[in-house]
Amino acid sequence: MNLKHRIVSIMVCGALLSPAWMAMGQTAPPAADAPGADAPAPPAGLKTLDQEVQGLKKDVVDLNKDLFVLQEELLFPANTQVALYISMDVGAFFALDSVTVKIDNKEVKNYLYTAREADALLKGGVQQIYLGNLKVGRHELVAFFTGKGPVERDYKRGATINFDKGVGAKYLELKITDRVPKHQPEFMIKDWE
Amino acid sequence: MQGVINTLRPLLLGGLLLAVPFAVSPAKNVKPDPNGLAPHAVQDLAYGDVLFYFFEDDYFDSITRLLAARQLGRIPHTPDEAELLLGGLYLSLGEHVEAGRIFEALLNKNTSEFVRNRAWFYLGKVWYQRGYLEESEHALRQVSDKMDPRINAERYMLLAQLMMRQGRYDEAITALGGWHGAPDWTAYAQFNLGIALVRRNRLPEAIPYLDRVGNMQTRSEELLALKDKANLALGFALLQAQRAAEAKPILQRVRLEGPYSSRALLGVGWADAGMGEFKRALVPWMELRKRSLLDSAVQESFLTVPYAYAQLSAMGQAAEFYNSAIESFDSELKRIDDSIEAIRSGKLLDRLLNDDKKDTLTWYWQLTTVPNAPESRYLYALLASNEFQEGLKNYRELNFMSRNLDDWRDDVSAYDDMLDTRQEAYNRRVPKADAVLAATNLDGLTQKRVDFESRINEIEKSNDVAALGTPEEQKTWARLRRVEEYLTAHADDPDLSDMREKHRLMKGVMYWRLSESFKARLWNERRSVKELEGQLKETQKRAVLVRQARVGTTLTTGRYAARVAAVRARIDQLHERMADISERQNLYLQSLAIRELQGQKQRIETYELQARYELAAIYDRTSNGPPKARPSTPPTAPQDTPPNSPPLTPPNSPPLTPPTAPQDPPPDPPTVKP
Repeated sequence: MNLKHRIVSIMVCGALLSPAWMAMGQTAPPAADAPGADAPAPPAGLKTLDQEVQGLKKDVVDLNKDLFVLQEELLFPANTQVALYISMDVGAFFALDSVTVKIDNKEVKNYLYTAREADALLKGGVQQIYLGNLKVGRHELVAFFTGKGPVERDYKRGATINFDKGVGAKYLELKITDRVPKHQPEFMIKDWE
Repeated sequence: MQGVINTLRPLLLGGLLLAVPFAVSPAKNVKPDPNGLAPHAVQDLAYGDVLFYFFEDDYFDSITRLLAARQLGRIPHTPDEAELLLGGLYLSLGEHVEAGRIFEALLNKNTSEFVRNRAWFYLGKVWYQRGYLEESEHALRQVSDKMDPRINAERYMLLAQLMMRQGRYDEAITALGGWHGAPDWTAYAQFNLGIALVRRNRLPEAIPYLDRVGNMQTRSEELLALKDKANLALGFALLQAQRAAEAKPILQRVRLEGPYSSRALLGVGWADAGMGEFKRALVPWMELRKRSLLDSAVQESFLTVPYAYAQLSAMGQAAEFYNSAIESFDSELKRIDDSIEAIRSGKLLDRLLNDDKKDTLTWYWQLTTVPNAPESRYLYALLASNEFQEGLKNYRELNFMSRNLDDWRDDVSAYDDMLDTRQEAYNRRVPKADAVLAATNLDGLTQKRVDFESRINEIEKSNDVAALGTPEEQKTWARLRRVEEYLTAHADDPDLSDMREKHRLMKGVMYWRLSESFKARLWNERRSVKELEGQLKETQKRAVLVRQARVGTTLTTGRYAARVAAVRARIDQLHERMADISERQNLYLQSLAIRELQGQKQRIETYELQARYELAAIYDRTSNGPPKARPSTPPTAPQDTPPNSPPLTPPNSPPLTPPTAPQDPPPDPPTVKP
């Protein structure tokens, strides 16, 4: 075998050893040097570890779920629980900066929004802004919304609702919607029975 | 450079979300959905809450809340959408088995074709990336053709790639041969078809396809890379087929500043050498030699340069370059050894994740910077690999979850304290409650109320108007009755006749007054009885509650305490498993890194051995007489030409970019680039 041939062999060897396509910044090519030699199903050992990792992660997720439920039942039992949510519909006329919530004239939440959170609301997310406890009976909720209104003007508006807290959990939704005909945002509070 | 799956994960959810928003989007003014499903208002607040975290890319919180909401029955209106999202979220954690189970369950239900197609498609895609090829093919074949054309194109491409990964080139050729789609996807299809034909030794048929891709006009960086790959693949295939003259111009089409330029330069040199033009071959090879020795093409050039000099009978220069190569290889081997030792010390992953933001789990995470350590320079290729990135992601997620468990452990301790405090408060209140209950004769009070009602009935029945008079009236009425009795006793006394008349008059007035207010007073009394009845019932209810609470509080506290104890045990147990699996994951990634370095080392050792051998041969020839030129092998000699370096060609050509690759996707914008 002459030198050239040997170099070629080296090159081949190098090619086999070095996933050059990776270094080239590409994703793993599905096809290989030889049929089935490059990208077979993961080796059995890897599959096992992968499966163990998957199983562990699922158990942690399940535990988190159980802890989440336990925490809510323990700290906010249904007979006293009150949950406030906030949602935005479109948001063309209002960019949310912050929300302040008062229940029975006592401030229970003052929340400043990051761009990412405001964006999550715009995409259709509904944020649970407050979870607390209230006695059975009549209560008043007042929410103040601040942000940028039409034409980038500072904007502050309030909304209020009187509601009855019964023996079950109470859900209230603070809704920001666009009132298209008036080119103004609208703020409402919905009592979810 | 990251593995496909890193890109794939966001794509998956992005795609899934095409289905999801219909369930929740509260927007009324958004543009119509491309798939024709109208958005509607929030139906389940809890699901909206899940989506809030999802849209924030906080998938761990999102999945936790989704599972909790599902368990608490808070997503009654959009269960299928929630399940679809749950499957996607499991995928985000790399839990494709669980995701697959959910998707398949969903697919067995009466879900829309749209949802079914999406679920099968993304499931197939994930399985493909994780190497579960049979499962992937099964899933991809479940997708009907009534899909978005771009997704459908991607599906066909995945199927073709899958066949190629399994060596089923003929099937891939058939599948790709008749396929038509958008221009970008067509380029990938033609490239893959060309590669499949080369693999089946059908080069003449492959040439038009690869040549077409290699000549395409584009400004897209992604397609320019594909173009380079096609030229590289075709160039090396031609070299392999001993058609060096045809190979050279094709290899020269590869961009000099692109990621494939080193391989192309190497190939151009071989093409010149193949034509016996060793002096020309030195031009690209010398250029290559100036580049980083980490590149295998550069390493090879350290041997090809002296080889060319030897072919040109310049033995002195050949010896000089071989010596230089040996020195460079020696230094490189030493550095690799040091790096392997550094990795074995176990700090690699910690260093890699040192600057990582640890607060959330998102699909978008990938390692973008490498630590400033000697071993880093060898790991770029490794870090670009899907296997390593996925493993690293797993390791990072396990770290995140370990911290999550630590946080919960603290919270659970607080719950214990809280339950203890509740129990203490209960213990303090019980004696007071018992005393109040003991002092309260509810049965006696009830009997009194019954008696009172009977008395009212009697008064009404007997029309005893005086019975409901005011105390003053009753006093007056009693005096009148006493006067009346006296007058009756002295009925014959004529002196009392005036008195009798007065008494009659006064009694008449008094009776009139009492009769007049009798009905109103009777109504008031009955109302009082009713109120008393209501208060008694409320009192009885409270007493029952107090008695229940007296017994129940202990039971409830006990139940909570048991649940807290159970979750604490689970936390401890998961912590142990976490430590064990994290360690194994660490070792596995270390082994990948060491394997990569050892591969590089082995290659360089082989090169070094070749260099030493050739150097010795040159010295040997020199010492045995005047140097003679090595017989130059004719470029066409089959055993000599680079093309005989068989597998280098197509394999080293960067073949078959999966259309799902980060920069590849000629994708469906809404689905692929969420």
